[in-house]
Amino acid sequence: MKVRFWGVRGSIPVPGRSTSRYGGNTSCVEVRPRGAAPIIIDAGTGLRRLGKSLMEESFGDGKGKTSILISHTHWDHVQGLPFFSPLYRAGNQVHIFARQRDMHLEAVFSQQHDSPYFPVPLSAMHADMHFHELIEGARFDIGKARVTCTRLNHPWIAIAYRIEVDGAAVVYCADTAPFADILFGREFIVTAPSLDQPLPADVLAELAQMRAGVVALAKNADLLIYDTQFTIDEYRLRPHWGHSHPDDAIAISRDAGVKRLCLFHHAPLRSDDDNDAILAKYRHVVQQQGDRFELASAYEGLEYTLGDE
Amino acid sequence: MKIRFWGVRGSIPAPGPETIRYGGNTACVSVHPKAGGLIIIDMGTGLMHLGNTLLPGPFGKGAGRGTILLSHTHWDHIQGLGFFAPVFIPGNQFTVWGPGTSPNFLEEILEGQMDPNFSPLQSLKNLAAGFQVRAAPCGEPFEAEGLTITAREHAHGATTALAFRIVEDGRSFVYASDVGQPFADTGPTPETIAFFADADVLLHDTTYRPVDQATRRNRGFSSYEDAAIVATAARVRRLVMFHYDQDYTDDDVDEMAASCRSALDAHGGTAIELVPAREGEELEI
Repeated sequence: MKVRFWGVRGSIPVPGRSTSRYGGNTSCVEVRPRGAAPIIIDAGTGLRRLGKSLMEESFGDGKGKTSILISHTHWDHVQGLPFFSPLYRAGNQVHIFARQRDMHLEAVFSQQHDSPYFPVPLSAMHADMHFHELIEGARFDIGKARVTCTRLNHPWIAIAYRIEVDGAAVVYCADTAPFADILFGREFIVTAPSLDQPLPADVLAELAQMRAGVVALAKNADLLIYDTQFTIDEYRLRPHWGHSHPDDAIAISRDAGVKRLCLFHHAPLRSDDDNDAILAKYRHVVQQQGDRFELASAYEGLEYTLGDE
Repeated sequence: MKIRFWGVRGSIPAPGPETIRYGGNTACVSVHPKAGGLIIIDMGTGLMHLGNTLLPGPFGKGAGRGTILLSHTHWDHIQGLGFFAPVFIPGNQFTVWGPGTSPNFLEEILEGQMDPNFSPLQSLKNLAAGFQVRAAPCGEPFEAEGLTITAREHAHGATTALAFRIVEDGRSFVYASDVGQPFADTGPTPETIAFFADADVLLHDTTYRPVDQATRRNRGFSSYEDAAIVATAARVRRLVMFHYDQDYTDDDVDEMAASCRSALDAHGGTAIELVPAREGEELEI
């Protein structure tokens, strides 16, 4: 399979000179099993360009089929969908998978297209759209690919996906905070809590269980894509934002025995030079600690070929 | 007054090496009156960058006061709000004037953007700054930041948007983004020309080249040709091109600016100065 990054940024798209090498589009990753329909993870603004590229294939003739796995519906993971050209062509089939919410998923996605916000309602999309609601732990097949998922530690809850196909596995873990300090659910956390206060035993147990789920999901993965929006110092100032940092991603990678770790979901104001420095620093750390996985930092256009040729 | 461009792009932010010179952020313009104060027009992603520059001043201490004018509530005109640093500092106060027959209607729309399914902020009420949302009266001048502002509703595809005319000591700035009938235009109406008339600066929607507009009429945007025609008819001094389509590269915009210049000259607007809006640039009015 091939894995290609179309959007690597967190929170909000950031056009401009200082982000032009890594890219300013929000989260979107394409997984292309060999000889099969593309599987897309998240629908940030990177999806617009991916859609244009798909229109050069069978999607341009209304004969395309794709599945979009949504980690969660925060704007930076869905805002590209109204600009996904294949939706405007009759005959294309688009399957959207996301975690179950209070409202039916189609209603959640319709909101983004409501008339105060966008000129074209979701119901006017010409493609056949199908919504699939997931619960954590769901396992399902997309063609020859096996998909599994587990819960992440993020406000209003996100899920991680593992896609196994062509003798390889890619795991996408965004967005998540470390599995310590705060257990995220549905409440709004106004200010950063003290990180030195011990947590109640039941909260610690739930976090430990969630972390074990992520480690199991990432077990021996060929590629782990991980939310590293923060540096560890930034995390300590904003633990209540629900994002992680490279030290945590490295610890998870080590426990899961992954082959490659790719830093992802870069903070909006993180410049290309900052990203270079973070990557250089942690490549050194990984080398010093004798870890065997490769470390990379996601940029738009980065592509991996994994598994059977 | 001084105006500054923070986001000049239409529909969706367009990051990439090919949009660096004009910028890829969505609509946001600031107006700085001579006597102080701040007016922000539209809250596209450019708003985040404006917000960060305000932090060394009163907005960083929770003592900032500002006025926000909203042309309409499509995503590319409101999506910067949750990333505007001054709203997280208690004490700052904003008055938002936008479309709608009641402030309640507009506040509900802004609240929808913060819905917990979509935003970790979960509600406008979680923003620390004070917000007073008001429905901008159309055709009736109101005062904000010591300046006189008049709003006017125009067609934007199947819906409408507001244009604003801002006057300071007889000098006027007109902001008219997202302008277009869903069908082939017969040219500007006398009412439109009157609203833009003799403006020192007319910022006008130039989303498309005429050839691209022809296949996308229903989207409700202007071409540079439309802007040149109305600017000439209204005898404005300067025309600012704005809200470029997300697919246009910097080279495309260069070429559109050259074509817009030719269009102005062809329609009798040789005296009109043409300014293609670029992120980070300022105009003195």
